[in-house]
Order: sequence, then C-alpha cells, then structure tokens
Amino acid sequence: MSAPVAAPAVSPRRRFWRRMFRNPLAVFAMGWFVILIISWVWPELIATHDPFSQDVMLQRLFETPSGDHWLGTDQFGRDHYSRVIHGAGFAFRSILIAMSIAVGLGVPIGLYSGWRGGRTDRAIMWINDVFFSLPIVLLAMAVVIILSPSLTSAMIGVGIAMSTRFVRLTRAVTLAEKEELYVDAARITGISTRRILSRYIAPNLLPSLVIQAAIISGAIILIGATLSFLGVGANLDDPDWGVMLNRSQAVFRQEGVWQIVPPALALVLTVLAFNLLGDAIRDALGRDASDNALSVTKRVAVKPAETPHKAGADIVLSIRDMDIEFPGQKGQVSQILQGVSLEIGPGETLGVVGESGSGKSMTMLSALGLTPAPGQMTRGSVFFCGRDVTDLAEAEWRRIRGKEIGVIFQEPIAVLNPAIKVGTQIAEPLRIHLGMSRRAARNRAAELLAEVRVPDPLRRLDQYPHEFSGGMAQRVGIAMALACEPKLLIADEPSTALDVTVQGQILDLMAEVQQRRQTAIILITHDLGVIAEAADRVLVMYGGQVVETASTHDVFAHPQHPYSRALLDTMPQSHDGAGELPIIAGMVPSASDWPPGCRFASRCEFANDECHASMPALTTHASGDLVRCLRASELDLGMGVGVKS
Amino acid sequence: MSEPYFAVKDLHVHFAGRGRLFGSAPAPVKAVNGVSFSIERERTFSLVGESGSGKSTVARAILQLVDIHEGTVMLNGEDVTRVGRRDEIRFRKQIQAVLQDPFSSLNQVHQTRTIIGDAITRHYGTKPGLVRDQAVIRLLDDVGMSAEFLDRYPYEMSGGQRQRVSIARALAVSPGLIIADEATSALDVSIQSQVINVLKRAQADSRVAFLFISHDLEVAKHMGDDVGVMYLGYLVERGDADQVYEGPAHPYTEMLITSIPVPNPATQAARRELRQSFNNDAEPPSPADLPEGCPFENRCPVAMDICKTLMPAPTPAHHGGEVRCHLHTSGPELAGASVVEFIETTARGRVGV
Repeated sequence: MSAPVAAPAVSPRRRFWRRMFRNPLAVFAMGWFVILIISWVWPELIATHDPFSQDVMLQRLFETPSGDHWLGTDQFGRDHYSRVIHGAGFAFRSILIAMSIAVGLGVPIGLYSGWRGGRTDRAIMWINDVFFSLPIVLLAMAVVIILSPSLTSAMIGVGIAMSTRFVRLTRAVTLAEKEELYVDAARITGISTRRILSRYIAPNLLPSLVIQAAIISGAIILIGATLSFLGVGANLDDPDWGVMLNRSQAVFRQEGVWQIVPPALALVLTVLAFNLLGDAIRDALGRDASDNALSVTKRVAVKPAETPHKAGADIVLSIRDMDIEFPGQKGQVSQILQGVSLEIGPGETLGVVGESGSGKSMTMLSALGLTPAPGQMTRGSVFFCGRDVTDLAEAEWRRIRGKEIGVIFQEPIAVLNPAIKVGTQIAEPLRIHLGMSRRAARNRAAELLAEVRVPDPLRRLDQYPHEFSGGMAQRVGIAMALACEPKLLIADEPSTALDVTVQGQILDLMAEVQQRRQTAIILITHDLGVIAEAADRVLVMYGGQVVETASTHDVFAHPQHPYSRALLDTMPQSHDGAGELPIIAGMVPSASDWPPGCRFASRCEFANDECHASMPALTTHASGDLVRCLRASELDLGMGVGVKS
Repeated sequence: MSEPYFAVKDLHVHFAGRGRLFGSAPAPVKAVNGVSFSIERERTFSLVGESGSGKSTVARAILQLVDIHEGTVMLNGEDVTRVGRRDEIRFRKQIQAVLQDPFSSLNQVHQTRTIIGDAITRHYGTKPGLVRDQAVIRLLDDVGMSAEFLDRYPYEMSGGQRQRVSIARALAVSPGLIIADEATSALDVSIQSQVINVLKRAQADSRVAFLFISHDLEVAKHMGDDVGVMYLGYLVERGDADQVYEGPAHPYTEMLITSIPVPNPATQAARRELRQSFNNDAEPPSPADLPEGCPFENRCPVAMDICKTLMPAPTPAHHGGEVRCHLHTSGPELAGASVVEFIETTARGRVGV
C-alpha cells in the first residue's frame, strides 16, 4: 500500500517541544522541576529561614502553618518550608550520583553486550540478571557497610543496582539497531566499531534512555528517602526529605499528622513529576502520532456527485466524483483524491495503475468506507450493487466487507494472525457472515484451500501462518477473501511481494476463480506487466486524479495521456539495448499545494501555457476512452514518442 | 590470460544452526554453494535470483559482513577473502556498496553532510568543515542533487533522493567495485530509471566495476554485461546477459524469463500459456535440507532420473558462460545450447497443450 508523501515541514526538535507544551501534565511536571531546580541552586532565594536554626527557647515546636512558618515547624522548631526547599538539593545530588553511575556503567556494558552478541552477550546478561534480582535497598546497604555510612555511598549502591536497568535497555536497542542496514553501510564505509557504537547507535538510543532515566529518577528519590528513613542515608540533622519523614513518624501520634505532610508532599509530587515527564517525553517523541490526528475534524456533509451513476444490474461497484480531503497544517486542506469515478461489472477485471502517492490505494479504502482518519469524503457517492453506500454506518459496512467484498493485501503474512491456526482464520468469516457451524466451516475451509490449490489442505488447516511460504500464504489470503463468495474482489498489489515465478501462479489463480464465479476484480498495481496480463480495462491515476481510462489494449497500443506514455517508456522492458533509460523528470507536486492547471504539466514535455493555467477535465475521446489532457486530441502519443529527459 | 579485476572462486557460505544446550546442533543452512564469477573494470555483473537464492549472501560475504566457509575472493590480484584489521581500511576503500532499503540504509540522526562526509573523513582524513562540505557538494552534483541537500536529514528526502545519497557515499572513496544489492527495488518505476541512469553515468565516469544484485530480471539485464542466475545457493547459469536472455541454457532461467510480466497484452497472453506449461505448484526445497540431486528437480518441466540423485557440474554453454544442468550432458545432450525449444516441445507435449 502506498504511503502518503511525507512532508515534515517542522523539525523534530520543534515538534517535540510543541507537543510537550501542549500536554498539561508535562507543563505541570516541568513547572515543578523549575521550582525544584531553583531550590537546589539558590535555596536562599526562596527559603524564609535557615533550615538548621533551632528555636532555642523551645517555644515554637510542632507548629502548624502560620504567617511566619508557612508549613509549620518540627520538633526543634526548625522551619518546615525552608527544610523542604533545602531538601531538593539532597534529592538532586542523590539522583546525580546514582544516575551517573547507572548510566556510566549500564550503557557501555549494554552496548558492548548487544554488539558482541553470542556467548559474551549471554554471560553478561546472566550476571546482569543476578544483580537485577537483588533488592536495591539491600545492595545499597551493602555498599554503605563496605564504604562509609553516608548518602553518597548509599547512592553509589543504588547506581550500581540501577545500572542493570540500563544494561537491559541499551542491549535491547543495540541488538535491534545492529541489524539495521545503516550499520552495515557504516561498516562497509570502514567506520570503526567504537565510532559506530558512539556516533551511529548511541544517538538512536537517546530517546528511550531519557524516558527510562526520568522514570528511574523518581525511583531513586524514593529509595534515597527510604534509606534515609532507615538511617543509612543522609545525616540525621540534614534537611533530607527521608530524614524528615523519619523524624515526623516518631512523633506524629503525639503531635498530629501535619508533621508528615510537608516532606511527604515534596516526595510524592517530585516522584509524580518524574513519571509524568517520562510519559510526556515518550508521547512527544512518538514518530507516528500526528498532530492532526488529535485535532477534532468536523464532519462535513458530503456534496453529491455531479454526474449520474450508470444504472443496471451489470454494475457491481460505481464510484462517482469522489473527493477525499485531509486537514493539513495551519488550516490548509490536502486534497488526496479529486473527482475519482469508476465502475466495474461482473466478471470484469479493472486494473488501477499509478505510482506511490497517486491515490490508487486510497480510492479503494474510501470505496470500502475505510477512509483513514482524519481524512474524509467531501464529495461524490458510491454505489455497490445498486445500493447507495456513501454514508453507510460502520455496522452496516461490516456486513458487506468480507462477505460481499473480499480484499487481498500485498503482504499476506502480515494479514494472518501468527498465533491462530490457518484453518480457524479461514473459517471465521464463514461462521460470522454465513452462520456456519464449526464443523461445516472447517469443511468449507478445506474445500477453499483445495480450490486455491494448496496441497494437502486438511493437514494445512492445522498449521500456523509461519509454516507457509509467501506464495502459499497469499493463496490462503485469496481463500479468505473468497470464503463468502464475494461479488467484488479488491486486490491491492497481490503479487508485488512475491517472487516472480510465484506471481504468475497467483494471477492465474485469480483468473481461474473469476471465471468460475464471475467475480468482479479491481487489481491495484504499479506493474504495467501485471496489468497487461490480467486487466480488461485500465484506470491510470496520477496525483489523486484519474488521468486516463481505456481498454487494456488501447492503453498499451496507443496511450492518450502523456503520463501513461511516460510510464510505459520508463519500464526497462520497453527499452532495447544500451543508453540511458527515459525518465520522468521532477516529482509529483505536494497534495497540499496542487498547481492550478494540469497536475502533470510540470513534468510533461508537451505542456504549454494553457496546461499550466487551467485544469483539464476528464473527457471522452473518439475511441470512447476517457482522458484528462487538454492536448489529447492533437497529440499523437503512439509508440516511439519519448518523454522529457 | 591476465587475471580478472575481481573474481569469486568456489564460494561457500554456511550458516550454523544455533546450538542447543542439550542435543546436537541442527544442520547448517547452505546459503551459497560453490559460486564462481569474475568482473572486469568498467563492467557490470548482474546476479539475479528469487528470495532465498543466496544472491544477497554472496554480496554480504564479499563485504565481509558474514563469514566465508570456503572459497576465495580476489581483487586486483590480491586475496581479500578474509581481510585482517590492519588491511580493513584499505579493503573498504576498494569495495563499496549501495544497499536495498533507502529508508534504513541511512542513519536517521545524521544529515547528508555527515552521511557522505564520514566516509571522506575516514579514508582521506579531511576534518568536518568547509573543505569536506565542498567535496560532498561535488559528489551530490555527480548524482544529480543540488547543494541544498547538504543539511537534509534522511526523513526529509524521497526514496530516490536517499538512494542517490547512498550512491554518492559509495562513490566518495573512489572504489574499484560497487556492490548494488537490490538498489532500485524499493523505488517507483520512474524513479528507478533515474537511479539506474545515475549508476551507469558513475560507471562511465569512474571506470568502477559493478556487482548488481536484483530480483528484477529486466533491470538486471539492462544493467549487466554478464548475468548470473542463482537458485538455492547454486549459480545455475552464467554468461553474456543478452545471450542468456535470448537463449537460456538452464530450465530455471527460462522459467524466470517467462514469468516476468511484459507490458504488452498480446505478448503477455502468449507468455502466460508457456508459463502454465511448467510444473508450477511445487514448492522449492528448504535451504536447510537440500536434496542430493539438483534442487530444481521437483519444479523442472524436463527433469530426468539422474537429476534426483546427482547435482550437475558446471559445463560450458553457448553464450560463453557455464550452466549446471544434466540436459547438456545426458538425455538430449544439448551440449550447452539453448533449452527454449526443447522445453517447449517436451513440456507442451506432456500437458497436451
């Protein structure tokens, strides 16, 4: 299936920050960190008291909030608010120590382990798993015992324990990235291993590393507080949140719950902020999440088609004047399809040909009521077997798709569920749509497999998709599409992913089935050879429009649109001997910025001023074929005419 | 006779099955079995075959990305089968590659400037900066791209543009051999022809030799002076590209050629008929469990008894190359001639067409 042409106008960095600032939870987390960082760097700036100054008169102990002490005082009369502010420094120092050890130890080990693979990798991971399974607090205590009882030694222990998380993460990413072609390419260029790891793989690791670090930072603070609470972390006089909790819990039964609130609140908010930040970064980095997908699209009324549908029993599917639009950036609209019309009768094969982004797959998705959001049909109508299905509800569509319209996809393996036996998957539509019993559906599934000439069908029913070769899996795909004897079969590049010797088998099979059942077939492909073999009629698409529709014979014998002609010329088969292949210069214009005139004009060698100025209509020519070209009647594009090169 | 510029002799690549803690390791997958061919300067050798034929493994073995089990690779009179660390940089300068997928063969985190510039820095020591950028711009110009692409990231370029950046990166070190592994397969036809033209122009300019690997026979024929056809790790036929296409000496080559759909409805109708006369529904054997005899035997329309038990040795063919098929030495004893006529009469006779 062809992906829409990507045109990322915004740099990923700007997109990242835009998404971060649009996420209220992320804004809260970032705001909280600004406060914490100020508390860490200049605590004097916002603290109201000296965190160590005690009330020597022992008058103002265990106070609740007041104008002088905003968050009250502790058992020595020290100001809670100022101690919480100063506590931020302890928290950040803890994170800094533990995190630098965790990352500094974990990332290199993970990179090395993943890169080397094999036995080295297994040995390292075994040791790592042993450390991973040890309780973090226990490990930290061990280090405290070996070194000296201080927050620093405790955090060294936590860092070592946390490094196991980074080993795992880094190794997993390295294992995956090292299979990427760009790593092969770097090796072929002669780049050293060290540089491949540091300059090629590590940057790809960064996003997941940052997310993991944010979440682990929250955990480090909690563990630090736990250790201080247990008395193996910070000094008992220090304004550390854990120590404060420890002191408060000793007295809260006598002096009220308030003593616990200030340090607990600081802890909870900080940990929460770290987790929110991690989540927000992950969401903001998501490559697929489009900004548009989140914006609500107003459902507009579909304008009716301007030309009437051809009536009669001999039309299975009829599309008239279909426009599909996608909301773009800054309120612009991308018109992906413009005025697409087609019809197909029983037993007929209609070939739809065009390059990536021409709209051929989109046409079929929209005809099936599957226009991908946020796109929508803004004009036109679709009739299936004489019934208007333009505005059909999804529940209604489900009764048609898979039953009356079968679909064959490009990647057969991707369509099959790897965890379910093939027989069960073929039987499912039979049970849903035709209400067959389990046994009857299974028998029918075996018949279908035999029909698509899968050898030994009864045994194959109980196999899983991975036991099928590409060609055999595509036969299963066809069997599933045919299960309910559909009137229309839509095949989207059914043979493209297959080997050339298997491709023919699949086309033969489709032709065979068609002959038996008079199925209408819409065959979407970029391969003119496949069209020549299988199609009765051809629809040539360019830039979201139909540019020519004619009988297969006519399109090949005397194409009338310069694009059809150019497409034929660029195929290596059409080119005899040496010399350069003809090319179509330039690129397809962007869907958000179509030219006012003919969409092919900028690449067409026959284009004149008028072609650039006004959009040609799809008009009927002498032969009865439809062509969208102002100069079609005067041009002779018979064999041998070259294209712009 | 002088030594060819580049030669692969009797190449074998086996992938060991991963050993289990208990029990014996599974049989190795024999991905490449005794492949030999040579390429002269400024010439192109096309290697064609279907998925699983081992054609990409040949490329990866030459590039030292997988271990060679047996055989030798010679470049300019030097044995480069197993290049040590010391010689690696010199080896990498001589053999470059353009890989298949334009989306994953460029690192998403680097701009064109770095992608191509890194190769220059590595091999010529030019530090990043104005001088290196000038060199990158010249290379971009060679592949028909303007200087504005210097600071583009891969995701800001189309498939054809990315593939041209890959070509520029390969050309950056003036190699003697470029291996193009399915370099045009992921592209639209009109873009594919642009990239093919860029490759051909580069060859004319720099006298580079090409190993062009493709599953698309038409592209392979257009690119190649010579062609080799692989099936399940064996090079079953090798010879002058045009003559092999005119008169293939191996039934598998004939089957491949008749399977390509041609953009001409009348010709295609005739081809379809011929294609259907083959033993179509049989599945190729698994590379982990190759038969004793010829691996094509179960799909071959003209297989004989001897094919079941003995893998044929290479014999000279009419197109100046070699073919591995018993038809040339037993049965009809075609002695290297084209098999087209023989298959048409035999196979059609069998199915009664």
